[in-house]
Formats: sequence, C-alpha cells, structure tokens
Amino acid sequence: MAKAVRVSAKEKQDENRRRWGMVIDLDRCTGCQACVVACHAENNVPVVGEQEAARSHSMHWIRIERYWEGEYPNVKARFMPVLCQHCGEAPCEPVCPVFATYHTPEGLNAQVYNRCIGTRYCGSACPYKVRVFNWFRPDFPEPLEQQLNPDVSVRQRGIIEKCSFCVQRIRRVELDADASGREVEDGEVQPACVQSCPPSALIFGDLNDPESEASQLARSRRAFRLLDFLGTDPAVIYLKGGETNV
Amino acid sequence: MEDTKHLMGLFRDGTETAQVIDSLYELGMEDRQVTVMTGVPYPERSLGRHVEWLRLPNIVLAGALVGFFLGLFLAVITPHLYRLDIGGHPTVGFPPAAVITFVFTMMATIVSTFLGVLWEMNFPEFGPKHYDKRVTDGYLAVLVEHDPSEEGQVRKIFEQHGCDSIQRSERQPL
Amino acid sequence: MSDREHMAGDSDVPEGQIELSEEYRERLLLAQRTDAEINAAVLRPMMETGPKFWITVAILSAIILWGLYAWGYMIYWGMGTAGINNPVYWGLFIATFVFWVGISHAGTMISAVLRIFKADWRRPITRGAEAMTAFALLMAGLYPFIHLGRVWKFYWMLPYPNNRFMWPNFQSPLMWDMVAIFTYLIGSSLYLYLALIPDMAMARDHSVGWRYKLYRTLALGWRGTEGEWHKLHRALNIFSVIIIPVFLSVHSIVAWDFAITLQPRWHSTIFAPYFIMGAVYSGLAALATILVIVRKSMRLEEFLRREHFDALGKLVMVAGLGWIYFWFAGFIVEWYGNDPVTRELIHDEVAGKLAPLFWLQMTANILPVIFLAFRKIRTNPKWLLGFTLLINVGMYTERVLIVVGNMQRNYLPFDWGTYKPTWVEISIVAMTFAGFILLYILFSRIVPYVPVWEIKEGRLRYSLRRIGRLWVPTAAEID
Repeated sequence: MAKAVRVSAKEKQDENRRRWGMVIDLDRCTGCQACVVACHAENNVPVVGEQEAARSHSMHWIRIERYWEGEYPNVKARFMPVLCQHCGEAPCEPVCPVFATYHTPEGLNAQVYNRCIGTRYCGSACPYKVRVFNWFRPDFPEPLEQQLNPDVSVRQRGIIEKCSFCVQRIRRVELDADASGREVEDGEVQPACVQSCPPSALIFGDLNDPESEASQLARSRRAFRLLDFLGTDPAVIYLKGGETNV
Repeated sequence: MEDTKHLMGLFRDGTETAQVIDSLYELGMEDRQVTVMTGVPYPERSLGRHVEWLRLPNIVLAGALVGFFLGLFLAVITPHLYRLDIGGHPTVGFPPAAVITFVFTMMATIVSTFLGVLWEMNFPEFGPKHYDKRVTDGYLAVLVEHDPSEEGQVRKIFEQHGCDSIQRSERQPL
Repeated sequence: MSDREHMAGDSDVPEGQIELSEEYRERLLLAQRTDAEINAAVLRPMMETGPKFWITVAILSAIILWGLYAWGYMIYWGMGTAGINNPVYWGLFIATFVFWVGISHAGTMISAVLRIFKADWRRPITRGAEAMTAFALLMAGLYPFIHLGRVWKFYWMLPYPNNRFMWPNFQSPLMWDMVAIFTYLIGSSLYLYLALIPDMAMARDHSVGWRYKLYRTLALGWRGTEGEWHKLHRALNIFSVIIIPVFLSVHSIVAWDFAITLQPRWHSTIFAPYFIMGAVYSGLAALATILVIVRKSMRLEEFLRREHFDALGKLVMVAGLGWIYFWFAGFIVEWYGNDPVTRELIHDEVAGKLAPLFWLQMTANILPVIFLAFRKIRTNPKWLLGFTLLINVGMYTERVLIVVGNMQRNYLPFDWGTYKPTWVEISIVAMTFAGFILLYILFSRIVPYVPVWEIKEGRLRYSLRRIGRLWVPTAAEID
C-alpha cells in the first residue's frame, strides 16, 4: 500500500527534517498491556482507580483496543494499540484558542501543558479520542509516588494531556548525539511503550529516513493508517494482522 | 447671558405648538432661542423646525473602519508574530480571518454608534437645566430665550394658542 | 385634546357611535388614555412588590447560591465531579450554553427586524424581548467559564500577547465564539439601554428616593428636545441595521464550534442555518412564555393584548416550520448517505437508547406548530403558555441530543461512551435558569417593562377612516 506512506507536499520541502513515527505490527501484538503500564510509569500518568475508570475518566496515553469478531465458537480477538497518531494535519491543533497544541518541526503533535486552559475542544475534535483530560488532581497512591519520572512534569487538574512519543527521551538522545557530534542512529530513540513491548510489535523511528526500520516497515504491503480517509495524515502506521483464533 | 430671560409655555396640542413656533419666528426669534421638549417623538419637521445635520453617520463609519483594521491586525498580523504550525493550516487563512474581521468591525461599529450618539447629545449632562416634569405627561414645552423687552409679545403668542401654563423658567436640577 | 384628535382624525364622529370590529377596537384601547394615565399604568406594577415577589426572589437566590456552591465544588475538586467524560467531553454545560444563546436570539429578531419592517405591533413587547436577549446572553456567557478546566486562567483567551508575543489563536472557533458573544452582549445591552433613556426620564419625573437617584443617573439628563429625539432615532435605526448581521453571525459561530470538527453528524454545512432557525424558534417561544407570565403578574393586560400574542404566535409557527425544514434537510442527507458511524448515531437516536429524548424532541417541536396555526389557540394566553413551554422543552432536548448524543459515538467503537449528568451539572444549569429569571424580574421592577415612549409614538400614527359603513383605524407613515 504505497498510499499509506505518501509524503505530503509540506514534508517534501524539508526532507532532511525528521518525522518521528511509529509502526505497530498488529500480527505481533498480544494485547498484554505492557506498553500501557510502561507509559503510565514513564510519563507520570495518574491511575484513576476502578470507580473513576467506570465513569470513563481513565487516563491512558496508549490503550489496547480489543475487538471481538465473529460468532461463537469462531470468535476472534483483535488487539489494536491506539495512541496519539501525531497527525500531520491534526484536527485538534487549529481549534485550540490558546495554541496549547501545535505541530513541531519534527512532526510531533505537541501539547503544551502550561498553555492549556481546559476547553477540551481538542478532545472533541480528535477522531481517535486519544486526548486525555485531567478530571481530578493527579493522585499517586503509595508507593507509586516513589517512581515518578523527574523528566516529566506532573500535570495539573483541568488540562489536556496525551502521548508525546516520549518527547523527553527524544530530546535526551538528540542532545547527547549533538554533544558528541554525531547523528541520531536509527533505533536509538525508544519511547517507553516501544521499549517495553515483549514481542516488539511497536517500532519507532524517523519516517523521513528511507533506511530506518520504521520507514521500511511502513512501506510494507500490510501497512495502513487508522481512519486514513479523514485525511489527517497520521504518523502511526499499522501493519495489518492475520487471523488470531482464541 | 444676563440680559436674556427664559419663558416656558406648556401646550397639549402639536398643531398649536407648530403655530406658536411659526409666530415666534415671525417675531424675529432665531432657531437657537427656541427649544421644544416633548414626551413623545414628533415626526421630524412636524413642528416646523429645521433639522440638525448629524455627525453620527461619520462617527459610525470611522468606528467601523477602526474595528475593521483592528480585526485585520488580530487575524492577519498577530499569527505572524509567533508562527506555529497548526494542523497543516496556513498561518493565516481566509475563513477565520473573515470571521474575526467581521465581528470586530461590528463590535466597533456598535460601540461607536453608542458613544457617538451620547457625544452628539452632550450626554451625560446632570447639571441644572430648563425643564418641566409635565413634559413626560404629554405636554409640549416651548422654551423661549428672549430679551426682557420681548416678554409681553411672547406671552401674548403663548396665550393666543391656548397655552396651559406660562412660567418664568429657571435652571433647575432634573 | 390631542390624543382624541389623533384617534378620530378629521372625522367628527361622536364616540360610541363608531362601529368597530373587536380587532380594531382593541388596537385603539390605548388611544383613550392620556399620557399621564399610561405612565401611571406602567409605573404602578413596578413600584408595588408584594410578598409573592419577595418569596420568588428568595427561592431563586437560594437556587443560585446552591449553584455557586456546586460550581466552587467543581472548580476545587476538578471537572470530573461533573458527568462529562471521555469521549463525551462536552455535556450539559455546552448544551445549555447553546440553549441560552438560542433564547437570546428573539430579542433582536423582534426589536431590530420588526423596527426595520415598521411592524407596529412590536412596540409594547420590544423591551421585554431585548431584556431577554441581554440576560440570556449573560447566562450563556457564564458557560465558557464554567466549562473551562482551568477557569482561573480564562484571561489567556483575551486578545493580548503573552510575554513571548504570542497572541491567542484566532483560527479557533472558540475565539470567534468569545468575540461574537461579547459583541452581541454589548450590542444588545446598548440597544436596550439607548431605547430606555426617554423612559428613564419619564420614571425620573415620577419617582422619589433611591429610584429617583437611579433614574436620574440612567436618564443622563434627557429632556426630550427635538434634537435628542432626532439623534436617538438615528442611533436606533443604525443599531437595528448593525445588530441583525451580528445576531446571524453569533449563532452561526456557535454552530461552527461543532461543524468544523470531523465528528459525524456535526460535520455538516447546514448546521449554521439550522442553529439559527432553532434559535429563533426557541427564542420567540420563550418570549411568548415570558410575556404571558409578565402580563399576568404585572397586570399589563392593557398593553400586552391579543393582537400581540396573535402576531407572536404566527412568528413562532413560521420559525417552527423553518426548524422542521432545516432539521429534515440535514437528516435526509445523513440518512441516505448511510455512512457507518452516522448510521449508528441515527439508529441510536431514533430507535436506541436516546429514542425517548428524540421522540420528545420531535413531538415537542412539531405539535405546537400544528396547534399554533389556529387563531383561537394563539390568542389564548393559557394555551400559548403551554405550547411555547413545550417548544422550549423540545429545543432544550434538541441541544442535549446534538451535543451529548453525537459525542457518545464516533469512529472507533472502542471509544464509545455514555453520559449521565451529576448533581454538579444539574445544580449549575439550574443556577443559570434561576439567574435568568431573577435578573428578569428584578429588571421588570426597576425599569418600565413596556417602552412607554414607543407606545405613545405608535399612538400618534393612528386615526380613523371611513370605508363604506365601517370605521377602520389607519396608520400614518411616519418615522
């Protein structure tokens, strides 16, 4: 599916720029939720507890969508990790009245917590519903507060947050590479979900680098993008899964 | 204006009032010497008075222009001061700019109409004025500023046209 | 006496011998009163406030205080105390916001559009309509604040640069919204106030004590000279021309808040005109409701008469037909397209979980249109009250369905959700309803509810003319 890796005209202009992206191989995903846990730990995402989760107030930056297909006994389970798609033409960005979300030159859909005033307009505009609102004060019950990541701020109540592709890790690698005067190597940047995925279903890399593993996989015949028909130009590319019988 | 006096006559009828005004003009009164106060807006020219030219439309137009350029500044200039790529939109797009410019034009037009008309009416003005409370009860008040020598003639005109009440008028707090 | 003369014109027909149909006689009722009597009739109910009034004020204040507590509770503990969730990010707050903006639309409709078309029957009801606009907008204007996750940072939306010279994002429909609602609020308040100045002078001349001081200040020194009237007329004419495009733009922008997203059933070009039509429909209905209640409670039967209810009822009916048309025009396209998400949404609304709300909406919006076609029902205050209340129940339901109903379903079925308002939301919504009523009844006791000078001006226009055996009132063309 060549269409899936179509490079938009804007990107062609600065081809040297990176465009961070992720490939998710649905064939490999087992739905183990390790990425979800890793993300919570890395990004100081509060755990809301059973009661609030039942009220749809849960806060996952990445979630495993599980779909059942078919009728018993031929039931198939399908797992699909969904995180912020870092759309090139993100519907969430122009609607924010205070520029709290915008597109970085490296293709990240950035969320600036300090600017956010909590209109939740971006959440309504997002077709993937991956934006997460802080419904309450962040709460880290014992012993979770012992493992807060000092690289990531804890967000206040009343603002939107979402997957950042672990921007703190990207920055660290870039700065380290700059300091030692070399290029960032492929595979050097690993967001927490990618790092923790046991079957390596998630691959992160520069989609504008034709040699990177991510961009090579993205050219696969199995590649598709979520809700591609909306024209949002996501940076997350899925590889179609086969049959998974339960 | 120590050498002039004010006389106020109250009338019940518009036609009579118009005739009074005609007679006052025949007497040689000038426009600025005669003031008519009514509790109801009489149609322009029905009392035989000349109609003032208003600056209001110009004020409104000026306000609209100010609002237009303010809107244009906000919608077209400010995004360039801190450029951010949002959703692949151009820094300045026609539809949002049109909306913002339109609304700001309208806002300034409204505000300038209001301020303009207050300015034209010299409002707010709380000082003492020539007035009679019966105006809002349906009387038409004709206030004449005249030389003391003309008082008899003015009174006569008032009486001829069925004036309900003639009084020396002093400035009083409203 | 001038009034009589205007009424009878040049005809020397003795009163009592004139044969007039009831409709005509009704229009001339006021002509037989002197200006002073009209003043007194308008001012008396303002000054007399019985125990009923104070009990109402106390109850409303209690509801408002409770709502403020709920709001404070929500600000302190977080938005999660409300029922909104992921994916229903916007709930009752935004639905009620749209409802109030809708209500605010009839004021301008009545006073500006009818002023331009010189529809004479508008005169006694203009002030009530304009006050409704202003207060409904005040209530609507609360919701963007209530709805903000960090309301204490609301000023970041104001158009001024931050310390890095970054201005707000004028591409965001929320910015358009804020600016447009502010403009409309300023416009409708100033319009209301401008037309109020001569009546403030009238009240000043007939009051003492704190009222005198208040009216004297608000009258700004009005004496009623020709120049003042002339300027006031010009300003009001300019205002009514300007405020119409503003009123159209405000509700269009509210509709675009929804329509610019990719959410199925929101992403539609018909949304702006559909919202405007719905706004006019619910606003006119609310005006009729209010007029019936005010007429009764302030004994203004003499001013708010059957001809007004008749005309207003017709307008409500026409707006209702328009609403049905626009609703259908949107629905048929969505239904026919059969896009999976839209299909699911429509199914959920018409036959699923939301079906009771949907059928309530349709019944409450369509039934009154049919009944208001009958003159007997339009002119009967009780029926009119019932049907116009029903319309607003329907229109409120419509807003809830549009906001909440459509957010429950979207492209990825995994994200589907439900929504149930909590006590926080209900208390805050009740607060704005109580706030609107409280502001309105306080206003009606402080300001002449009926625009006295406009009525007197209208009276100048009428005279009697003989056509065959009949004496009919005719109106003169004056500005």
